Amino acid sequence: MTTRIPFSVTPIAALMLAVTPALVQAQQGPPGPPPAGGQMQLPPGASGGPPPGAPTGPVLTDAQKIVADLPPPGPGLIPPRPPLPADAVMPTADPRDLQGTWVNNQPLQFRSQRDMYGALAPYTMAGAKVLSRRVMSLKAGKPFINASAICRPPGPQWQRDLNFPFSIIQDKDHVEVLFEEYHGRWYISLDPQGVPLPMQKQYMGRSIGHWDGGTLVVETTDFRQAIWLDVDGTPLSANGKLIQRMRKVSDVGRVPFLEVVTTIVDPTYYTAPWTIVRTFGWAPHQAVFAEYNCEEQVGDPSVSADAGLVPEPRD
Amino acid sequence: MTRRIARLSLVGTMLGLASMACGQSAPPMGANLEGVWKIAAPTTVLKPIAGAVPFTAEWRKAYEANKTLRAQRKFDDYDITLSRCSNPGVPRLALTPMRFKIWNRQGVVTFDYEWNRALRQINVGVPPQPDLMGQGLVPTMTGKSKGHWEGDTLVSVMQGGSDRTLIDDLVPHGYDLKVTERYRLVDANTLEDRITVEDPAFFKQPWTSVVTYKRQPDAIFAEDVCLDRIAAKQPAFSK
Repeated sequence: MTTRIPFSVTPIAALMLAVTPALVQAQQGPPGPPPAGGQMQLPPGASGGPPPGAPTGPVLTDAQKIVADLPPPGPGLIPPRPPLPADAVMPTADPRDLQGTWVNNQPLQFRSQRDMYGALAPYTMAGAKVLSRRVMSLKAGKPFINASAICRPPGPQWQRDLNFPFSIIQDKDHVEVLFEEYHGRWYISLDPQGVPLPMQKQYMGRSIGHWDGGTLVVETTDFRQAIWLDVDGTPLSANGKLIQRMRKVSDVGRVPFLEVVTTIVDPTYYTAPWTIVRTFGWAPHQAVFAEYNCEEQVGDPSVSADAGLVPEPRD
Repeated sequence: MTRRIARLSLVGTMLGLASMACGQSAPPMGANLEGVWKIAAPTTVLKPIAGAVPFTAEWRKAYEANKTLRAQRKFDDYDITLSRCSNPGVPRLALTPMRFKIWNRQGVVTFDYEWNRALRQINVGVPPQPDLMGQGLVPTMTGKSKGHWEGDTLVSVMQGGSDRTLIDDLVPHGYDLKVTERYRLVDANTLEDRITVEDPAFFKQPWTSVVTYKRQPDAIFAEDVCLDRIAAKQPAFSK
């Protein structure tokens, strides 16, 4: 069932593949008038701005205003990666077979403060305060300790977002995702009765999935501790939930990519569920992972065990 | 449990067929190593099948020094796996007491360890890629393992490993360590790893050890975090 596409995919083509809703999300700036500089040609007599009576932009809540006033997240980059060889094995045509090696094909998003439609996330005041505290700690040069810094599993969203490859392995009753970084393992049971998940709480949470057509829907709950959804510290409480909808997107003549639409449900930090999207390029040539061995540095008695980070105040 | 193993074997056979369809260094039928495994006789010592470890005179002293450090509980001075949970490397990973899974996919045989979620991979079919990040310049705990199939046996040669690992819980080695492993099924539920260790500076001649594993029921592993054990003043390797 294996197919091969008879053309090579250059890095530029790989970047073009990233022109998806997710990239649109990343490129969307704050709402407001178009930038000055004469780029927009208006007809004679016309003035800029919305016409009279047109609905204005969304009204920000007090919590959203706190986040909107924060320094913007740093620009994400795509690290250099070898191009997909011309003779690379392609994913199977079976939409329910997500197996293979994938890698985030968008610039890393340091802070996921907008949803996939460009709207600011619906922070509660508690959520805005936590995010603000973390962002300002970065600005002050005294970032807080997080799971990543102390070599603990950082949670599925952070883990997927990194620009490092992961491999999906499927059985009919469970899915295992092996990540290059953090010794990451994301286990998804498709049959919790037949393939039980561990009883104790995990840093990566408890993930149960089912197929909805060609989309694997995974609900992740029961986190051992609150997690950071991204590098800047977008929060998810230990009682929060991630609903991931994973599907393989196949356009004729193009290399399929993996799309993961994640809905964040967490009344502690958000007034309503909100959704982000990421895409991942096909990368069978990166199936041999670089070794990740953070314990060697973290445990080195000659260096700071917390990588110079400071403990975060408790709420 | 038996029914579960039988089903796993059937799935494994089907997966073997799928691998062959991919044309990626697929093992012959009957040599499917996939599944969940656990060391048959837990040990911390990689014992030669004949005689003692043939140390050179100089490095026997280093071995004896490690024994002294162990008695003094100065683990970080000779074994950063025990003190820091650093990856034990090859071949010591073969002695981990917990379970591991073997996956043979996309031209890679992956050893997916329950212990600290460690990973070790043997490349049996992925073409070399440009090293754009320069990662290949740095020795790693698991080195680079290149594999091929000889009949029903997976042969792996590991080189490029860091000298910061040990062969087992005491035996040192250098950067020139070469570990050749021959994995084969003794029967459907028994896996054998025949390990040959070479390092001319440390050993007068190559020496060989054999470790066997028993197939385990398929399972989702609990998230094992070695550093949490260390933080709780527990040993790096749980029983």
